[in-house]
Amino acid sequence: MLLPPTDSKIVARRAEIVSALQAIVPDGVVADKSGLATFDSDALSAYHQTPLVCVLPSTREQVSAILKYSAAEGIPIVPRGSGTSLSGGALPREDGILIGMGRMKRIIEIDYENACVVVEPGVTNLNITKAVEANGFYYAPDPSSQVACSIGGNVAENSGGLHCLKYGLTTNNLLGVTMVLPGGEIVTLGGKSGAQGGLDIMGLVTGSEGLLGVVVEVTVKILRKPPVTRTLMASFDTVSAAGACVAAVIADGVVPAAMEFMDGRAAEAIESYNQPGYPKGAEAILIIDADGVEADVSHAISRVTAIVAECGGKTVEATDEKQRARIWSGRKAAFAAMGKLAPDMICMDGTIPRHALPQVLDEMAKLSEKYQLGFCNVFHAGDGNLHPLIIFDIMKPGEFERAEEFGADILRLCVKVGGVLSGEHGVGVEKRDLMTDMFTPEELALQGRVKCAFDVGGLFNPGKVFPMLSACVEQGHIHVHGAQLPHPHLPRY
Amino acid sequence: MEKAASESQVAEFVRAAREKKAPFEIVAGGTLRAVGKPLANLPLLDVSGLSGIIKYEPEELIVTAAPATPLTEIAAVLGEKNQRLGFDPADWSQVLASNGVATLGGAASADASGSGRLRHGGARDSLLAFRAVNGLGETFRGGAKVVKNVTGFDLPKLVCGAHGTLCVLTEMTFRVYPRPQLAVTLCLSDVTPDTGFAALRKIAHSALEPAGLAYLPSSMSGSMMPDVGQGAALIKLEGAAKPLEEKLAMAHGLLGNAASRIDSDPFVAIGSGDQFADLPGDIWRVMIAPSDAPRVARELNAQYWLGDWAGGLLWLAAPPSDAARIRAIAAAAKGQAMLLRASAESRVLYGLYAPQPEALAGVSRAVKAAFDPLFLFNPGRL
Ligand SMILES: Cc1cc2nc3c(=O)[nH]c(=O)nc-3n(C[C@H](O)[C@H](O)[C@H](O)COP(=O)(O)OP(=O)(O)OC[C@H]3O[C@@H](n4cnc5c(N)ncnc54)[C@H](O)[C@@H]3O)c2cc1C
Ligand SMILES: Cc1cc2nc3c(=O)[nH]c(=O)nc-3n(C[C@H](O)[C@H](O)[C@H](O)COP(=O)(O)OP(=O)(O)OC[C@H]3O[C@@H](n4cnc5c(N)ncnc54)[C@H](O)[C@@H]3O)c2cc1C
Repeated sequence: MLLPPTDSKIVARRAEIVSALQAIVPDGVVADKSGLATFDSDALSAYHQTPLVCVLPSTREQVSAILKYSAAEGIPIVPRGSGTSLSGGALPREDGILIGMGRMKRIIEIDYENACVVVEPGVTNLNITKAVEANGFYYAPDPSSQVACSIGGNVAENSGGLHCLKYGLTTNNLLGVTMVLPGGEIVTLGGKSGAQGGLDIMGLVTGSEGLLGVVVEVTVKILRKPPVTRTLMASFDTVSAAGACVAAVIADGVVPAAMEFMDGRAAEAIESYNQPGYPKGAEAILIIDADGVEADVSHAISRVTAIVAECGGKTVEATDEKQRARIWSGRKAAFAAMGKLAPDMICMDGTIPRHALPQVLDEMAKLSEKYQLGFCNVFHAGDGNLHPLIIFDIMKPGEFERAEEFGADILRLCVKVGGVLSGEHGVGVEKRDLMTDMFTPEELALQGRVKCAFDVGGLFNPGKVFPMLSACVEQGHIHVHGAQLPHPHLPRY
Repeated sequence: MEKAASESQVAEFVRAAREKKAPFEIVAGGTLRAVGKPLANLPLLDVSGLSGIIKYEPEELIVTAAPATPLTEIAAVLGEKNQRLGFDPADWSQVLASNGVATLGGAASADASGSGRLRHGGARDSLLAFRAVNGLGETFRGGAKVVKNVTGFDLPKLVCGAHGTLCVLTEMTFRVYPRPQLAVTLCLSDVTPDTGFAALRKIAHSALEPAGLAYLPSSMSGSMMPDVGQGAALIKLEGAAKPLEEKLAMAHGLLGNAASRIDSDPFVAIGSGDQFADLPGDIWRVMIAPSDAPRVARELNAQYWLGDWAGGLLWLAAPPSDAARIRAIAAAAKGQAMLLRASAESRVLYGLYAPQPEALAGVSRAVKAAFDPLFLFNPGRL
């Protein structure tokens, strides 16, 4: 992976830069080797790089002062939330300041009158829900990393979760964002009214992977918890029957709160891992949640049950909260279960049109033969977001390289059928060089000009998202070894 | 006026305009031409020929159409499959005194949503992908025809509400939604703005997923509803028969059994602003935090006004001399006052929105330039 060359002149000025930052944030500069080592990668642990220096501001004014300084001095900046990015978006630079938002974790205001919460960017996703759940509210986007990932990181990655088919992604649940531009100016986009009075810059900034500025405040909508949630598990003899069922449910007008797909291999591995009760021999399993008012939910459940039967599948409904949790525990253990099958794996994240599912599964099986590597599929079926897991053994020569190639081919396949390289994990450094498979040179140039509209000096998170050629960064392996996941305590689904 | 009926014709026109450095105005149905800063005597590019549904995939919940497809055509085709657009575009041609045809691209370019915005958000929340021609005369795509995507910048968000200032759209793909079988409107009569808006927020923050929440003072409700005393809080709920009954029962519970069912659906008129069509003066839309609605409405002190989106949107008619005062009230409430209908002089003076703070205005200008470096498209409208 090529990243912009390190500017040795900046590296040589390290002591001076450290003291300039100390003058701005006296108690928040990490400059010692061991301190910096903890920041050297995000959850794409294959890539690591110790930052020049890390600064941990506590106020937006400090962020602004840091960015004024870095702009004036021409020093690259990498924003960082909790470091759970799976695409290397928060990967530091040897000649860059890593600006960590972890200290800005105040909940500024809970406004039940307007059903919104105003927070600093370092607040974790789950802490928003925790702050309001006693009053019957929650924050809808629920990435499985939600105990750790920050709302600022969610904005930067436009994160999703199991429930985004019905409730939308981060971008659909924001009312306002305050950010510091690369030149240090503070701008407010939207607010409790949600209105921006001009171009939808908030929409552009959401999902921009830390390329356009530093998010310092976020206003999110909160929703009333649905009174009823019920869960169905459906099993099928063929993958195509399950695919047809997903399409039929959507076409019927039912909008499930979640609709998850697992292929037979994943189901088998999961069943032997934590026995959630998945039927033996099924080639595909769907888990479907319906939520809302009682009658809506019963209507949805009866429609889905009928459609599953028409598609030749069998349903089991969770009879109580305990069984519901048990069915979901299997899906949520998919990563860990696969980890038992092979020492190493990589997780992909493409989105495809739902109708292309049978074709894509077919071609993935062929690729698996070609690369002689096993894989399984877990899939946010409702919205077409695939998470194929490729398993391999790093100790066997050539397997890691084959796994990477296999992964890249899967993403090219997603693009070929009309889909995209990333549904929710972002492009970062991981998929950057595949961008040319999806976009024309004119399209990439236009997006590059949009970046320049914010960041004239090209100092913000350089080398991420957009393909470019230059020197090499220290590079490790794009994988998970011996179940030593980065953030091992986080559920992955 | 030149006509372009295909993407290549649009590109050709833009390249020629670029050669001549000659800005132009994009017109589809033409209903919104009198909105925003006037574009003095620019040549017109008529894109009304870019019309028709290109691909409708009900089981994927998406529809792809050319931008000048009439909203009525889209609604009819989606309706056959019991689906609808998510952003509830309605027809503003009456209030703008236009006899044009409201189109999909025009509605999205104006980020024009009716009362149903409450439920599935605005155009920006359902536009998944588009094709367009930029100011260099290049065709390009933004987004993708899938519901979940973080691959590059989210350009579909930008074109919604851009009033045609970034590019000439040639194809648009929207997420669509199931259309509930039934809808019922409840009316809470003889309530003050404070009581009415509080009731609306109660419903907004319930699990009822309302499709419309509006407050009409007596000055506005007369034509639509019989005697509602001081004013009416209107609540629209949707669903299949049984769920709807359950929702109605829950709503009655939340409203202390004081609301009654009404037969008509007032929300078509509310979303399209029809009630303001015959009123003299300027027409404003003021967007604020919903809980500020009663206070801001008092400060605005207009005779003719109403509140939609549970209070998040106030419509009003006001004399032209009130413009600065209205903008100041909106700014103090951290909201936005959009001048929808006004004389050309007022629009020159006040613009569609208040000027943005310099840093934000600078970024917006630079983003515009990234798409259209010579400022060829609808220059100055936004
Ligand atoms: C186990 C696991 C499970 C996951 N599951 C999901 C899932 O279900 N759905 C999903 O969508 N994602 C998932 N992710 C990915 C990840 O958690 C999300 O992308 C998350 O939003 C990243 O947040 P963060 O705070 O960790 O950001 P970081 O990793 O620190 O940064 C991510 C990007 O955001 C930028 N950034 C961070 N903070 C700011 C800020 N304040 N201003 C500007 N830019 C900023 C960084 O520069 C970087 O480009 C998972 C990750 C792990 C490790
Ligand atoms: C500020 C505003 C708010 C509105 N709010 C609402 C509302 O809340 N509810 C509601 O129901 N209706 C609303 N409307 C009205 C509704 O949008 C119109 O009735 C109709 O949909 C517009 O279609 P049109 O084809 O007539 O537009 P036109 O007047 O032809 O075009 C509208 C704008 O889009 C641009 N445009 C048109 N085609 C293209 C293209 N192919 N590429 C690029 N740009 C293009 C035009 O240059 C123009 O700036 C609103 C209108 C405006 C201006």
